[in-house]
Amino acid sequence: MKELRLAFVGNPNCGKTTLFNAFTGANQKVANWPGVTVCSVCGKTVFGGTTYFLTDLPGIYAISSYSEEEKVAMDYLSASDDVIINVTDATNLERNLYLTLQLLELEKPVVLALNMTDILEKKGICVDEERLGKILGIKAVKISAKKKSGLSEILRLSEKAIFPDGIVHLKNEEVNIADMKPKERYILIEKILKEVLSLKEITLQKCKPDRLLTHNVWGLPIFLGVMGIVFFLTFFIGEYIKSFFENWLESFIVGVYGFLTSKNFSGAIVSLVCEGIIPGVGGMLTFLPNIAILFLLLGFLEDSGYMSRVCYVMDSIMSKAGLSGKAFIPMILGFGCSVPAILATRTLEDKRDRIKTIFAIPFMSCSAKLPIYVMLSKLFFGKYAPLLAYSMYLLSFLTSILILFFLCDKEKKESTLLVELPEYKMPDIKTVSIYVLEKVKDYLAKAGTTIFFASVFLWIILHIGKGGLTDNIAESFGASLGKMLVPVMKPCGLGYWQIIVSLIWGVAAKEAVVSGMSVLYGISNISSPYGMAKLTSVLKASGFCGLNAYTMMLFCFLYTPCIAAIATASGEIKSRKTLYTALFVQLLIAWGVSFVFYRIGRIIF
Amino acid sequence: MRLSGAETGKCYIVESIQLPEDKKRRILDLGITENAKITVENLKTDGPMIISVRGTRLALGRKFSDGIIVWEMKA
Repeated sequence: MKELRLAFVGNPNCGKTTLFNAFTGANQKVANWPGVTVCSVCGKTVFGGTTYFLTDLPGIYAISSYSEEEKVAMDYLSASDDVIINVTDATNLERNLYLTLQLLELEKPVVLALNMTDILEKKGICVDEERLGKILGIKAVKISAKKKSGLSEILRLSEKAIFPDGIVHLKNEEVNIADMKPKERYILIEKILKEVLSLKEITLQKCKPDRLLTHNVWGLPIFLGVMGIVFFLTFFIGEYIKSFFENWLESFIVGVYGFLTSKNFSGAIVSLVCEGIIPGVGGMLTFLPNIAILFLLLGFLEDSGYMSRVCYVMDSIMSKAGLSGKAFIPMILGFGCSVPAILATRTLEDKRDRIKTIFAIPFMSCSAKLPIYVMLSKLFFGKYAPLLAYSMYLLSFLTSILILFFLCDKEKKESTLLVELPEYKMPDIKTVSIYVLEKVKDYLAKAGTTIFFASVFLWIILHIGKGGLTDNIAESFGASLGKMLVPVMKPCGLGYWQIIVSLIWGVAAKEAVVSGMSVLYGISNISSPYGMAKLTSVLKASGFCGLNAYTMMLFCFLYTPCIAAIATASGEIKSRKTLYTALFVQLLIAWGVSFVFYRIGRIIF
Repeated sequence: MRLSGAETGKCYIVESIQLPEDKKRRILDLGITENAKITVENLKTDGPMIISVRGTRLALGRKFSDGIIVWEMKA
């Protein structure tokens, strides 16, 4: 079978990813976080007896090395001999053709795909794609990524794609584009557009939603409101779906227990499976709906075009902390997971800005901390639980900004914000769902590996003591370690060895704090009403009340991030000293804040 | 005048770009070249601004708006 490699290149927001997804569907390897991906994505499709290997490169405005996206795209293009599929937004050819002209100089075959021509035609403007192709010396084709029209045409043309000659063939002149200055290129593009568009100038329509969404006064409260709704939905819909998971998990444990005892497995193995592995891994799985919903909503916001407005809205505040509003996007991703958030800092051009943002990201409460907030607030605060869980998110938002203020350089630094505000659009279901699917897969992979081993290891240190295998957890090595640290955590109201061991386990993955507590307090299904009631009574009997619970939530949100986040940060910062300092400071802040809060709380209540 | 001193709703023509080489290059790549027409859509005092240029809507930080020299286009 014949094979052909295609590389998709185009401006951000030109519909490139939508087109790529239309071709590859579920066959792609890495999902694309629209707008902030700094890696290429691969997929394949078969058509007319040829297998096409497709690569989706990050959206770029020009071929230079200003941003990380451009470096990735350039490195790929210079090393490969793929046919370049240059995807352009036909409603904004003036800027899109700038990149096209640069691609013509690469001496690689190019096919020009004019996306969104239907929108342009609705405005009463026609584009002569045949003429445009002739002028540029390549083939051009009208497509609609959203309606999936023109897809086979792209593949057909790519088989006989033309190597451009680097000359623009206007009606009355031939222009060699080599070594042209940006200004001259834009003048040339104006000339080209005069020949191919039925109307001279495309005026940009006033963006009505922006009158409110980027309003100087209302923009920020609206943004906070939007995030409030996001967390509200995550909490409520997530909880609803979760109850099904829980029932299933409970009957599963009973089933497995019955099976293992009937097959005469030893008590230790039954305990390892039913009290260690299943509650540990399963407990984490019950939070899957919450995480899926959170990423679904964040994906919707991003794909609709609202996130770039957030850059503008947040720029004034962020620039006071010495960063541009753009640095806020990785921080919002931090609500989902620190790992992609830390990777997304690559979109920031300044290295110092990146390190500051990486340090602040773990303070945004990631979705793995959600189970901790949900459980603790439900245990002690009844109907106020959602409010208190949301308060953690608001607090984490404020804390991370406060942290950035502390890290700010003394000399006044002006904001280097520079982002495009694309037209608002209905989010593409496919783009968003592929993204969510990928996040869910990551989460499951973590449940299968890190949490699995953490559960097994936790079970082992809790069932082995000085006298060998023991049924009494209080005599185990794990308990001794926790007990050793009790004096350190007592001033914060967290001087319980079970809680301390759970917190240590949280460094493996934050969700493990919940599963850790379920194992340590011997409750098989911690998020069921029965399990909760049991845990509440056990905790209350030991003097752990609402104040302790909220302090524990505070501690969990502030202390050292999980191993995966630490590893990612270490890969990005590349300085051990900076990393260790950061980790130590995070632990210190967590202890300090918990201490102050608990002490003041004790005086008030 | 500097673009940072512009007013919402008015149109300006770019006269020159006074920025470090890499930032200047980026601004030029995005179509903010000499003689390009800029419409100011929104701005915050001492903060960022939203402009439209060559059919693109951009949010510009203070560093950039301070470095773009423009003159006002009389309506």
